[in-house]
This record gives sequence, structure tokens and C-alpha cells, in this order.
Amino acid sequence: MQVYPKINYRGGKRYFFRFSLVQRIQHIVLFTCVITLSLTGFPLRYHDQSWAEPLYNFMGGIDVAPWIHRGMGSVLLGLFVFHTGYWLYLFFKHRVGRLIRDDELTVGNFFKEFFSMEMIPTAQDGRDIVAMFKHLLYFTNKPPQYNRISWKEKFDYFAPYWGIPILGPAGAALWWRDEFTQIFPGWLLNAFYIMHTDEALLAALFIFFVHWYNVHYAPEKFPLGTVFLTGYLSEADMIHEHYAEYTETMKAEGLEHEIKLQGHH
Amino acid sequence: MGLLVVNTVHRDMTRWHSANAFLGEKSKYALLLVLLVSVFCASFWSAPVQAEDELNCVLCHKFRGLSRIDEEGNFRLFYINENLFMKGPHKRINCMDCHRDIEKIPHDPAKKVNCTTECHLLEPSGKKKFSHKPVAKILEKSVHGRFDEDGKPKEYQEDYPTCKSCHEQPLYRPLSFFKGVSSGVSRRGLGRCKTCHQTGDFAEDFYNHVTSRLQKTRESKEIVEICAKCHEDPAFQKRHGLDNVVASYKDTYHYKAIRFGSDRTADCVDCHIVYGESVHSVESMDSPTSATYKANIAQTCRNAECHHEAGEGIASYRVHVDYNNKEKNPMEYYMLKFFSGLMAAVLYFFIVVIFLELLRRLFPNFSFNSAERSGHAVTKPTTEGGE
Repeated sequence: MQVYPKINYRGGKRYFFRFSLVQRIQHIVLFTCVITLSLTGFPLRYHDQSWAEPLYNFMGGIDVAPWIHRGMGSVLLGLFVFHTGYWLYLFFKHRVGRLIRDDELTVGNFFKEFFSMEMIPTAQDGRDIVAMFKHLLYFTNKPPQYNRISWKEKFDYFAPYWGIPILGPAGAALWWRDEFTQIFPGWLLNAFYIMHTDEALLAALFIFFVHWYNVHYAPEKFPLGTVFLTGYLSEADMIHEHYAEYTETMKAEGLEHEIKLQGHH
Repeated sequence: MGLLVVNTVHRDMTRWHSANAFLGEKSKYALLLVLLVSVFCASFWSAPVQAEDELNCVLCHKFRGLSRIDEEGNFRLFYINENLFMKGPHKRINCMDCHRDIEKIPHDPAKKVNCTTECHLLEPSGKKKFSHKPVAKILEKSVHGRFDEDGKPKEYQEDYPTCKSCHEQPLYRPLSFFKGVSSGVSRRGLGRCKTCHQTGDFAEDFYNHVTSRLQKTRESKEIVEICAKCHEDPAFQKRHGLDNVVASYKDTYHYKAIRFGSDRTADCVDCHIVYGESVHSVESMDSPTSATYKANIAQTCRNAECHHEAGEGIASYRVHVDYNNKEKNPMEYYMLKFFSGLMAAVLYFFIVVIFLELLRRLFPNFSFNSAERSGHAVTKPTTEGGE
């Protein structure tokens, strides 16, 4: 596996490593699927709106768009399976592997390692949220100091990771409805219909407003945050968004004397 | 039915508007084309079209302005376009065959035509006089009939459809107008008929009649609109204790696909009529012979053109779901509430955070903590994160 330097220099500026190539490719597949699925799905939900028909026709109309939707849905389900395999592989290789090497593999240690993975919410996230509200409500002018994965990013991560298992199988059942009803009662399809369309709306609204605000619309990011392409985050953004990780990395790289303060720059 | 007898066209202007809604862009252009072509052809035809008009009714009714305001204040147009009439299914019938109360010319206001009247045409299979009686009987026995099982008139008689409630809709007249005059599978096939059936236009008419019947004549979207004409009216629903089945149907993929131009999903008649029966035979879901009777639903869904692989489970799928009705659709109601609640909680929380964050940028250094306010708004680096 490729080793990424923690800090990269481009044009005399520091950039901090965040996402490996495999992760960035997964993200590109993820958002391509989500955007295409939205474009081929929501015109059906909002069929009585004036924009629905032109958009749907642009996406291929009733003869083509449903197949694009099903195809992209299959890719997204595939991505879910791949990603699950991906973190399980990393988890067993690095964390469980180390426990075995050190002869420390117990049930307790196994779960301790499991819950210390960086996407798992911790008590620190709760403290970070409190710190954030203190700052937002002017009780302090110290911004929160997030670590490598902030609570917002954990939310971003678990939104699709809970959304896809809800949306995907429901969509598959609606697709293979004839075969589905040979085993299951048809009223389950009514339930899946709601799950599919309402969870999709929540996901789309969250991604296109909240997530895109965090990574693209916010004043210092606008018009485009580039970390999803380069995998590296600029020093200013690091200080703003991941100050705890920033100081840690700087110290680890022997740049302690160059650590900048988290004021308003 | 009076396909060309356009005398009621303008009775109700709203009907025209709904008629226009039926016509998609394509059919509008097709209509325009048909009109242009017929005008073009008519200019070459010096001979008038020969209708079965022994009494020369068109002597008066050919004038486009022939109209009056009737006693109810409705505008009535009595103009007959012969060219169009000659393309309709009634072209071989005398005016008087249907308008039987007319005895002298000029005549008094004529009564409404009874569609079950026997006309002079012979129905070829039984050599009996032709009439629309059989179809009227099917309608009478259906849920749309105006008498109950004991022969007593049902409540709200005026709500039950007559022939013309559906067939007077502009989309039903004249037939050839909407499907193109050249109905049929092969003009060449007609040559075989003409070898023997040489008299008059019999072969042509019969061939067109049969072959046009073999095609799907109405778009699904139009079928839905026809049913919606009554079933979408809230007052009508209330009178008969019915749900808004049109609204719930429009929530289904069946309708949405139709809405975007597909003809491969189910419209009203596909599910509410036993496969292979007349479209006039809609029955109540409580009737054991109905297509929507509990024990028959799976079979209806499994009809050859639809979910033919489906299992018995499909019967419990609910097509008409009212998401606001806690009693009728509790599962759907509470699921929708759950997702709406989740959506509101997530989005409102983040909207508030984003709003406060944007606001914070306006006063980056302000703090209620006066000690912080006076000093520099900077933070000492820590490795733990948090405060």
C-alpha cells in the first residue's frame, strides 16, 4: 500500500494528508451514483412539478432513466459491500493483526480496537459539540479544536452508511417485485416505497445543502473544496477545521516551532 | 355518442379545457395535421361526401353557425361536419335511426338520443338489428349501473355515468380522428377481403372496424383523466363514501411512468376489469367476481402483460394508499411520520448550526466572557482537542 507523506509541500505551502487514493475513488463513485440516482429518481417523486418532465426526459425519459437508476443503484450497493470489506480488511490487518502479534487478543481488546476506529463517535465528539455551541453562541471566542475526524464528518460518513442499506435493498425489492412477492407479502413493498423515497429525500437534502455547505459553499471554501480530489488539505483549512490534529501532526513532523495559532486569520 | 354531431361541444367550456389537457403535444400536432390534410383533400373533392342522409338533414346542419341558446342557457352548436362524420363509426346510419322523435322538417327541439335504440344495420354474427343494448346491459350490471341488485334506483342518480358521460368526451370523437384513418394492420390484407365482399364499402369498413378494435385505442393517461372526471371530485367522493383514489393512484409508479409517456404500466381499467372482459364491466371490490376482490387480486396482477411472475404475496400490496389516514393505512402513516420527523430533526439542527456559523463570522472575536474580549482571540495549541 502506498505511503502518503503526512505533510506535502506545493508552491511553498503546507498540505496535510487526509484521504488515500482508494478512499477518494470510493468517494467519486459514491457521489456519481448519488447525483445520478437523484436526477433519475426525484422527477418521479415530484412528477407533478413543472421541472420534472424536462429533467426526466433529459435523463433519458421513461424508457431509459429507470435503467440508469437501477444500474447506478447496483453500483452503489456494490460500493457499500466493497467499502465494508475495505474497512474490515484494514481493521483486521492493522489493529487485530497487531493484537495477535503482541499476543494481546482478548474480547475486551478486540472491542476496544473496534471502537477506537476513527469513524466511530466518541465522548470527545460530545465535548466538541458543546465547545462548538459555546463558540457559536458567543460564550467564548475560542473555536472548537477538532481532531482528525470531526463529529460533522462522522455524521457525513454514517449518513450514507446507514442510508444505503435502507435505500438499496428497498430499491432492489421494488425492482424485482414479482420475485419478491413469491416469498414476501406485498405490503412490504408499500413500506419499502416509503423507505426508498423518504430516506432518499433526507439524504439528498442533507448532501446538497449541509454537506456541500461544509465542503464547498462555506466562505473560505467557495466555490470548491479540493480535498476530495487531491487528498490533501491546506494549512489554513487544517487550522480552521482540525486544529487538534494539526498540532499533533506538526509536532510529530518536528515542526513544533512553526505551529500557528488558531485565531481568526 | 354522436361522433360528429358536434351539437354539444360548447355546452360546457370547462370540458373543452380538460379536453385540451388530454391532448399531448404530439396529438395536438397530429390533430392539426389531420385538419390540414383534410382541408387540402377537400379542396380537390368536388363531389360532396355521401352520407346516409335520405332526408337531407345536412341541408341545414351544414352551416357552421347553426346554434342557439337553449332553455337552460347553454350554448348549443348544431353544425355537422360531413367530412368528419364520414370517418366516424356512425356513417352508415340514418339521422332518423337515432333521432326518432323528429317527424317533420323543420323540426322541434329533438330529445336526447337513446343509445340502446335498434338501428337498421344488421349485426353480422346473429343477423339481428344492431344496438348498443349489450354494452348498456354490461354497464348496468357493473358498479357504475344506476340500479341496485333489487332493481331499486341507487342514491344520487345523477352521479352514475350514462354512455355519453364518457363517450361525449372529445377524445372519443371521432374515433378515426385520434388513431389516424388508416387503422388496421395491413392495407394489403384488405385486398383479400375485397375479392369477395365487393358491394359498397363493406370490406373497408368491416376491416377497419375489426383491426382498430385490436389496437389499444386510448392512451393510459386519457383513461385516468376520464375516471378522474368523477372520482377526483371531493363532493362526489363524499356522497358515495369513496376515497380519493385518483390522488392515491397518482402516488404510484404505475401512474408516474404513464405520466412520463410510458404505456407499459397499469391504468385504472387494467386492474379494475377482469382480464379479457369489457371495459364497461367494472365491479365493486366487494363483489366476488370483481378483479379487485381480495381472492382475485393476485390473478389480476399476474395477467400476462404485467406481473406474470408474481407470487400470491402481491395481493397484499396496497395500490391506493392515503398517507394521511391513520385508521386505513397505519403503517404508511407512522412510517411517513417517522421519516418526516427524522428529516426535520436533522435538517433543522444543521440549518441552525450553519446559520449561527455564518453569523459568527461577522463578530469573530466577540465573547460574553469579558476576560477573553480584552485579550487576543487566540488559543494555545493543545494536542487533546476540545477545550
